[in-house]
Amino acid sequence: MTSLKELQESFQAGILAGDDTILGEVKDSAREQRTVLFGVYRNAYVARLAEILGNDYEQVHAYLGDAGFAKLVKAYIAANPSDQRNARWFGRCFPEFAHATMPFADHREVGEIAALEKALSDAFDGPDAQPLAIADLATLPAEDWPRLTFRPHPTAIRLTFDTNATTIWSALKSETDPPKPQRLPEPQALLVWRQAFMARFRPIGAEEAMMWDEAVKGVRFGVLCEMVATFAGEDEAELRAATYLKGWIDSGLLAGCQVEDNPA
Amino acid sequence: MLANKPPYLGFGLGLRPQHYEEILSGNPAVDWFEVISENYMIPGGQPLRILDQIRERYPVVMHGVSLSIASTAPLDTDYLGALKTIADRVEPKWISDHLCWTGVHGVNLHDLLPIPYTEEALDHVVDRVGQVQDFLGRRLTLENVSSYVTFGQSEMTEWEFVSEVAKRADCWLLFDVNNVYVSAFNHGFSTDDFLHGVPRDRVVQFHVAGHSHEESHIIDTHDHPVCPEVWDFYRETATHFGPVSTMIERDDNIPPLAELVEELDHARQIAREVRESAQRTAAE
Repeated sequence: MTSLKELQESFQAGILAGDDTILGEVKDSAREQRTVLFGVYRNAYVARLAEILGNDYEQVHAYLGDAGFAKLVKAYIAANPSDQRNARWFGRCFPEFAHATMPFADHREVGEIAALEKALSDAFDGPDAQPLAIADLATLPAEDWPRLTFRPHPTAIRLTFDTNATTIWSALKSETDPPKPQRLPEPQALLVWRQAFMARFRPIGAEEAMMWDEAVKGVRFGVLCEMVATFAGEDEAELRAATYLKGWIDSGLLAGCQVEDNPA
Repeated sequence: MLANKPPYLGFGLGLRPQHYEEILSGNPAVDWFEVISENYMIPGGQPLRILDQIRERYPVVMHGVSLSIASTAPLDTDYLGALKTIADRVEPKWISDHLCWTGVHGVNLHDLLPIPYTEEALDHVVDRVGQVQDFLGRRLTLENVSSYVTFGQSEMTEWEFVSEVAKRADCWLLFDVNNVYVSAFNHGFSTDDFLHGVPRDRVVQFHVAGHSHEESHIIDTHDHPVCPEVWDFYRETATHFGPVSTMIERDDNIPPLAELVEELDHARQIAREVRESAQRTAAE
């Protein structure tokens, strides 16, 4: 008798690889042939995963239409058997897959719309943390400010897009006609995060992106101000840095700060 | 009577995100909610906050879809750890999953796959249920699944297998009324044989759901209202088991909450008629 282990391996191969060996182990019913009955499992596997991806990537679906999305989804399912107990994470490699799979790889906006949707989902149910408030900094002595470092909110995600994917996403989300895809003259930085239980995103300029990227590495505020001065001129550099910082705090993008010791 | 049997909760619904707002802003006539365990195996955010709020107002039970208790792959300790974390947060009245497997070799097929009803499979499942119960520090509740194929090597009926698992592993049963109906149609057995074949004192919950009829077979899609035939079988089930926590299970084509509450009221009505009929019989 086929062991339970062999039977399950054969059953799984029947679903994943179309291997018919398992049909030797299952029976016809009084009303139906075993091929049709086992087919219920084959069909359900693809249909269920496609439904999961459709829910996770609604705007990619809207952008590509039913046929285009089905093609991408079918290829993803074939290349990525789920290794997740939680269906929530099945589609986690979908943006990279779209970037790497022809013909979608030639349409960079597809992978970028997917990356935005994934980031919004990740921010939506990412870790909880109390956001840093302006009041937390109100009593800080002026001389401590240069030694201040910041901790990003754990839901914060930084993306950089080469196309107008965010504009396309916004149009699709509001169910209007999306603009034509285009490569941007300069890459577009953006921040995705959760504020008041809502996932949101905001395009940011190159200088703010540079300061954010350095701040999340733990670079001190004093050094950040110097970097901003180097980036786009010393004139009002500290004011620009402080403005970015206030924007992050107001948006709930930071979860903490601390005054570092002076180097020995 | 078995020790520590979970309490009778009345009539519940599966908690679905589409109804979060309505449940929290209104006061639907629902006695308890069943939550899909995996939906809350996430780091944080709105879903967990809402789960906490629901938990403050209603008894909650947890229902998983990925335990894969019958798989020959090793038990997934990460998954069990996540399950325990959610259970510690929710303090559910019980934790259920399905008497099935979902994949081997690190793959999860996201489906409830059938087991051959053999002594080998029975030993395997009983051993695994024991391990999971030891890990969770509580009895598990296992649900009979709908199936579409049977195996040539099976040595016993599904109800014999289910009963033996429950007795030998000392776990509870979730009797899915629709799944019995679906499998009985697909495999040509009698729903009554199943009904009378499982130990009454092990059953702590009923699922009642809709399905899709494909003429030669029925698929357990949970995307339709409960059909008259399943309601009839629910009446028989309620008559046989007496009061058991009952839930309408809808996973797709989710209707407005009011429609599900209406279906739940229908279950209440049937249970009331069954109880009154039993009282009349006892009085005669």
